[in-house]
Amino acid sequence: MSKQNPGALRRFWRFLRRPSAKFALLTLLVVGFFGGIIFWGGFNTGMEATNQLEFCISCHEMRDYVYKEYQQTIHYSNRTGVRAICSDCHVPHAWIPKIIRKIQASQEVWGKITGYIDTPEKFEAHRMAMATKEWARMKAANSQECRNCHSFDAMSGDVQKQSVYKKHMAAKDAGQTCIDCHKGIAHHLPKEYRDPNEEE
Amino acid sequence: MNQLMSHGRKITIALMCAGFGISLSARADVDADAAKALARQNNCFKCHAVDKDKDGPAYKKVAEKYKGKDNAETRLIEHITSGEKAKFPDGHEEEHKIVKTSPPKDMSQIKNLVDWILSL
Repeated sequence: MSKQNPGALRRFWRFLRRPSAKFALLTLLVVGFFGGIIFWGGFNTGMEATNQLEFCISCHEMRDYVYKEYQQTIHYSNRTGVRAICSDCHVPHAWIPKIIRKIQASQEVWGKITGYIDTPEKFEAHRMAMATKEWARMKAANSQECRNCHSFDAMSGDVQKQSVYKKHMAAKDAGQTCIDCHKGIAHHLPKEYRDPNEEE
Repeated sequence: MNQLMSHGRKITIALMCAGFGISLSARADVDADAAKALARQNNCFKCHAVDKDKDGPAYKKVAEKYKGKDNAETRLIEHITSGEKAKFPDGHEEEHKIVKTSPPKDMSQIKNLVDWILSL
């Protein structure tokens, strides 16, 4: 019975599997090739659009709070005119880690819908938790997003301040990574944060 | 004439007392949490500690050095905002980090940080 009247899904599957009697193989290849380029190009263009600064600050949670803080830092304005935007630090550059991060970011969309940090008070209340999570992500990736631009090996003892160079080389020898010391460089530190170097 | 001078001296002393009073109340109004937050944000604790000498002197030692000096606050504000040379334990000198605030160049935050150090 089921063989005589298959369901819609099964019929569609059979249609997909049946060799085409109407279109030449070359036609199918050419259409498939260009269709693939259009799909892949569209997908990546869309994904890159979500990496733009304008996209990030299209939500008031970013525009009114963290973006204003970032505008006062060296990663926004500096002597050399090189700017690191949100995605440079918060989204991996390599494709697979980037996709994983984008999927994780769907949680942030839910946060936007539910108003998780839609007031300055709520933002401050969650700042420590959010920062801790991001610091852990950066640490797990060996500060890869920092190291896309900075590296211990490229630091010059002739140009860098002596005390800073000494600290950097000590950190390198100790196997430390950027985020171990450089927290809150583009945003305010959470009020609950305590510097491990601090002594009361 | 003597009466006039005596009157003038009284006014001077009164003004000095008022100034001292203001200074004392300013120290008393130090927001330690805000000062420490600014220090953390500027990585001050990488080179300084409250009790211990690191690359920079202990804050308590700084307070001790400037105790009773009239220009203590002004001097320390200049030290952390001008990028003047600081001497390190190994003898070399380099520019002291300029403390930044948010909003930028908020002197009340700088003053509070200096007053906190002087209060230790």
